[in-house]
Amino acid sequence: MTGVRCAPEDWVGTTRDAVARGYGFFEWLGAVDEIGRAGAPGDVLRVVLVLRDPASPGAPTLRLTTELPRDGPRLDSLGHVFAGARWHEREVAEMFGVVFVGGDPRRLLLGAEFEGTPMRKDEVLAARAATPWPGAKEPGETAASPSRRRMAPPGAPDPTVWGDRDPADSPAPAEEVAASAVGGRARRRRP
Amino acid sequence: MRWLDWYGDGSLHVLEIGLACCSLELDAAAHAASAAATSLPGTLPPDARVVVVVSGTVTDRLAPSVVAMVDACATLTGAAPVVVALGACASSGGPYWDSYAVTKGVDALLEVDVYVPGCPPPPAALAAVLDELRVAA
Amino acid sequence: MTAGPAGPGPGGTGAAETGAGHGSIRLVEERCTSCMVCARECPSWCITIDSHTEPVTDLPAGSRERTQNVLDRFEIDWSLCMYCGICVDECPFDALAWEPGHTDAAVSAVVLQHGIEELRGR
Repeated sequence: MTGVRCAPEDWVGTTRDAVARGYGFFEWLGAVDEIGRAGAPGDVLRVVLVLRDPASPGAPTLRLTTELPRDGPRLDSLGHVFAGARWHEREVAEMFGVVFVGGDPRRLLLGAEFEGTPMRKDEVLAARAATPWPGAKEPGETAASPSRRRMAPPGAPDPTVWGDRDPADSPAPAEEVAASAVGGRARRRRP
Repeated sequence: MRWLDWYGDGSLHVLEIGLACCSLELDAAAHAASAAATSLPGTLPPDARVVVVVSGTVTDRLAPSVVAMVDACATLTGAAPVVVALGACASSGGPYWDSYAVTKGVDALLEVDVYVPGCPPPPAALAAVLDELRVAA
Repeated sequence: MTAGPAGPGPGGTGAAETGAGHGSIRLVEERCTSCMVCARECPSWCITIDSHTEPVTDLPAGSRERTQNVLDRFEIDWSLCMYCGICVDECPFDALAWEPGHTDAAVSAVVLQHGIEELRGR
C-alpha cells in the first residue's frame, strides 16, 4: 500500500489528483483516534481513504491520510468525487464526531437519540465500567478486597479516572481516560 | 423475517427474526425438518402453535422492530407466541454484552420462554427445542 | 483431548456424536487451583470463581506454614459464553476441557448458570 499524507485543506484536491493518476475506485474511508499512541503525530483523528486503480487490480492500493484536531474536527466531503464516500463519511461522523462540510449530515448506524462518539478512545464502554469483573478477585478470595492493588480488565478505566471520580475534580483529560482503560494492575494515582 | 411451516404439516409455525449468524443454524435445522417458507398467513386456527425464534444480536436500533413483530404475531393468533432466544446474543447480548449498541438479551424487551445457549448453537439444539414444543401441552 | 473424526454429519451435529465436538466445557475440579486465569482471560466475563485459603496440613515437622487455595464456587454462565475455548487453552493446570455434548437449552437464563456439579461432565 502506498501512502500519501496531506493537510486537511488539500483533502479534496489530493483525492482528485489521485483519481487523475488512475486511482478511480473508492474502496473505503475511515478514521482512527491516535490519542495516546506512541509515535503518533499528537492527539489527532487520522482520516484514511483507500483507493484502487481498476486498471491494475493486483497493484497496491493507495492510502491517503490527513490529520484533524480532536476538538472540532472538520473536513471537506468527498461526496462530489465519489458518491459512495458519503456513507463512509456518515459513519466516521457519528463514530468520531467529524463534521464533513458539504456531506450528508444524517446518521447511518446509530439511532437519533444516541449520545456520544463511540469509536473515540476516551469513550468508555459503560457496561464494562459498571459491571463487576469476575477477574478482580485474587486467588483465594471470595470478595475482592478494596484495599489491594487490583487487576482491572481492558476497557474499564480506573474508577478514580472515570466513574467514581470526586465530583469536585474537573473531568479527567481525554488521554488519561484513554490510557487508563488498557487493563492490568490498577495504578494508584496521587491526587 | 420469515414465516416457516416447520414440519410442513401445519403442526408448528416458526416466525424467524433472523438478525445474525444464528439464523444460518436455523436455516440448517429448517432444511433438515423439511420446513416450508410461506407467506405470512392472514389468519390462523386458534390452536395453532406459533414460535418466535430470535436468531442473533438484537441491536438497540432494531429493538423496537423486534417487539413490533412479536406483538403483531400475538395479534394474529390471539395469544402471545412462545419466544425462543437462539444463541448467546439473543440470550444475554453474548460476546457483545458490553457494546454501546446492543440490547443485552431479547428478554430485556419481552418474555423469553426458552434460552438456547451456543455461539452458535448447533442446528440440532434448536430442532430439539421445536420438537418438544410441537407436542407440549 | 478426545480424538476422532471431525466435521458435521448429515444432521449437522455429527461431530458431537463422534466425540470430536466442541459442544460444551467441563471442569476437572481436582485440578483447579483457583488461580483466576480463566476468569480473567474470558472475553465474555462469564466465569465466576470464589475461593479461600487454608493452611496445608501434612507438612514435615519444622516446616514453615504454607497455605493453599480451596475452590468454593466455579460457575460458567452459558447465556454469555461464546464457546471460544480461551479458558480451556489458558488453564495452566488442564482443569478445563472440551465436552462433545452441547449445553442443554433452558427455560430461564438463571438455569444456564452452571456450577461445579453441572460442569462435571458426562
